Amino acid sequence: MNMQNPLARVRGTGSSGEGSHHWRSQRYSALILLLMTAWILWLGVSLAGADYAFASATMSSFFNTGMVILFAGTVFYHAQLGLQVVIEDYVHIATLEFALLLIVRFACLVAFLISAIAALKLALGA
Amino acid sequence: MSTTKRPMSPYMLGPYYKFQITSLLSILNRLTGVFMSVVTAPLLLYWLVALASGEEAFAALSAFLGSVLGMLIIAASVFSFSFHLMGGIRHLIWDAGWMLENHQVRSSGWAAIIGAILLTLVVLGAGL
Repeated sequence: MNMQNPLARVRGTGSSGEGSHHWRSQRYSALILLLMTAWILWLGVSLAGADYAFASATMSSFFNTGMVILFAGTVFYHAQLGLQVVIEDYVHIATLEFALLLIVRFACLVAFLISAIAALKLALGA
Repeated sequence: MSTTKRPMSPYMLGPYYKFQITSLLSILNRLTGVFMSVVTAPLLLYWLVALASGEEAFAALSAFLGSVLGMLIIAASVFSFSFHLMGGIRHLIWDAGWMLENHQVRSSGWAAIIGAILLTLVVLGAGL
């Protein structure tokens, strides 16, 4: 799916250097998270103050395992995109900006991987 | 031509722009997003890892979450979630090209504030 106007492509990719890809990705990930609102609220409220047996039973269901992996992937992607904009807007030392952007990307990727491993471990009862 | 490097988008803070509901909600949306990225999401990740690690790690985290500091972090996280959710809905409506008149932006701003406070109270109340 390409939602970019052909004229925009001819004129180049704008001040960001990457066109509207970042902007659109932020909106699409926001939409997915918006659709998951009811689930995350239900999960949060039902697990508030829960003991170990109840929490691990809840988090090991097939549905919740899948939702956790999807949610973590979308959340950490959305967080990376958002933190990137904040860093680009407020950090004006080029080296520091580059380092922070790299750290944020790496941290978000690692956070997603750890989430997925933990979710699968709970599901498989290992 | 002036040789000064001008900002590419209007900078809403400082003496250049009157502080008002639009700029307040704009910076709040960023602050709540950053707070959730730096505090809430890592805490949720830690919770999941503790649960996967076993009963002992989970009990230790549960004890911390039950403390005053833990409950403050939870309350701030729930508010950040609620506010960022309302602010996000507002942005998606704008992106669709709707409600862009000044009076609509102001009223949707107040709706977002009220909605965020109500959702925070409902979630915290339901979770108690």
